[in-house]
Amino acid sequence: MIQLFNVTKSYGRESVALREMTVHVEKGEFVYVTGPSGAGKTTFLSMLYGATKPTRGQILINGTNITRMTGRQIPYLRRKIGVVFQDFKLLSSRTVYENVAFALEAQGKKRYEVSKKVYQALKEVGLEHRLQRRPIELSGGEQQRIAIARALVVDPLILLADEPSGNLDQEVTYEIMELFKHAHARGTTVLLATHDHSLYKRFPKRVLGLEDGRLIMDHQP
Amino acid sequence: MLENVRYFIRRALRNMRQWPVLCTAAILTMAVALATVATFFLVVINIQGLASSWSEEVQVVAYFQQPPSRNTLAPLIRKVEKFPEVKQAIYVSKTEALKRFKTRLGNDAGLLEGVSRDLLPASLEVTLKPAARNRDGVTRVVSRLKEDARFNDLRFGQEWLERFENFVNLLKFVGLLLGGFFLFAALFIVSNTIKLTLYARRDELEIMALVGATKRFIQIPFLLEGALQGLISGLLALGFLGLSFKLLVQKSLKSFWLAPVGFDPVFLATNQQFVLVCCGVLLGLLGSLFSLRKFVRL
Repeated sequence: MIQLFNVTKSYGRESVALREMTVHVEKGEFVYVTGPSGAGKTTFLSMLYGATKPTRGQILINGTNITRMTGRQIPYLRRKIGVVFQDFKLLSSRTVYENVAFALEAQGKKRYEVSKKVYQALKEVGLEHRLQRRPIELSGGEQQRIAIARALVVDPLILLADEPSGNLDQEVTYEIMELFKHAHARGTTVLLATHDHSLYKRFPKRVLGLEDGRLIMDHQP
Repeated sequence: MLENVRYFIRRALRNMRQWPVLCTAAILTMAVALATVATFFLVVINIQGLASSWSEEVQVVAYFQQPPSRNTLAPLIRKVEKFPEVKQAIYVSKTEALKRFKTRLGNDAGLLEGVSRDLLPASLEVTLKPAARNRDGVTRVVSRLKEDARFNDLRFGQEWLERFENFVNLLKFVGLLLGGFFLFAALFIVSNTIKLTLYARRDELEIMALVGATKRFIQIPFLLEGALQGLISGLLALGFLGLSFKLLVQKSLKSFWLAPVGFDPVFLATNQQFVLVCCGVLLGLLGSLFSLRKFVRL
C-alpha cells in the first residue's frame, strides 16, 4: 500500500528532516511511527498526503508514484487518505455536522448521501447527539473524535494520525485508540505518529522508530 | 452541474453570514474606494462640461472694410459656412453693432447720443464647430478669411484661446494623474482588505485542501462571495453618490457665487452607473482571485 524508496527530505543544506528512508507498509497494516521531537515523524506523514515533496527518492501509494504528481492530481490522492492532527484542525465557525460534511462536499458528493454518511460517521465516534454544536463548545476528546469522523467519513484507504493524543489525557487517548482500531479492523491502513510509549505497549503493533531523520527501528510485535 | 452551482451559491452566502464583520469590512472598503473614484470621475466630467460651455465663446470676428451689398452678403455667408470648421456665420451690421454696444453700456448709453451710426464697422461673427474650437481650427478659419480682401481686421482672442487650451490640457493631465492615483489606491486597499479577510480564514482554505478539495472547488465560492460583495459595494457607492449629489452638490452649487450662470451639474449617465456597479463586481472578483492565489496552494 505504501512504499518509500531512499526518500530524503532536506530544507537547505544544513537541515535534513529525513535521510535515505526505505519502508514498505502492507495494505491493512497498523503501524506506529515513533521517535523524539524533530525525528522526522511529521515530515514522513506529510509526504504521504502530498503536503511535502521529497528532495530525493520515490513514494508509491497504492501503486501510484506520488512524487511525480502535479498540483491538480494531489486532491485526488488526498481523497483516499484521511488525516488526523494533534490540534484537530476543525472549523470553529461551523457546526459538528458541517465540519464532517465538509470532507464529503469537497469531493462533490450529493446532498442526501452527505447527510446519511455524516450521521453514520458521527454515530461511530459517539457524537451523533452533538450535530448542531460548534467545536468550541466541546471537550478536546470530543473535538478529536469529530476530526476522526471527518477523516473516516470518506472511507479512506489510509488513515494518517499525527500525534492525535498529544493534547488529550490517558483515558481519552485510549478511547481514541479504540476508534483507530475500529478503522483498522475494517481494513483501513493506519499510520499513527506518537512519542507515547504506553500506547504501543498497550496496543502492540508494528513500530517504525525514527531518530534524526533516520529509520533506526522496524519492530513487529 | 446544477447541484454544484447551488452548492457554491449556498456556501458563498453561508460564508458571508458566518463572517459578518469581515464581510462588512470588505464591502465598505470597496464601496468607499468605488465612491472615491466615481466622485473624481463626476468632478472631471462636470469640469469638462463647464470647459466645453466656455469653448462656445471661441469665435472669429471678421470686420468688413466696407459693408457688403445685399447681393454679395448671402453668397459670402454661404461660402464661410461651407468651411469644415464653421458652424454658423452671422452678419452684424453697423447699426446692430452700435445697438449691442449701447446695450452693453447700460446706464451710460447716453454717452453715444449724437454719435454717427457709422462709428462701428460691420462684421461677420463666425462660430466654430465644437471639434474646431481650438488653436488649429481657429488658425485654419482665419487664414481662409484673410484671403478675402473685403475683411480688413480679424479678431479671435488669440491670448484667451491659448490660455484656455493650456487650462484644458492641464485639466486632462491632472485628471489622468489623480484618476490613476485614486484607482491605484483603491485597488491596493481593496486587495489588501480581501487578503486580510482571507488570511483570517486561512484555516478553512487549508482544511479544504487537506480533505481533497480541488483548487476550483475551493476558489469558486470565494470568487462568488467577492463578486457579490463587489455588487453590494457598487450599489452602495452609487446610492451614496446619488444621494450626496442630490442633497449637497445640486443645492449648494446653485447658491455658490463662483458657479457660472446656467451651469447645471450632471450626474452619471445610466450606462456609467451600470459601469460603476460592474466595476464593483470586477473589483471583488479580481481582488479575491489575486488574494486566493496566495493562500490556496496545493
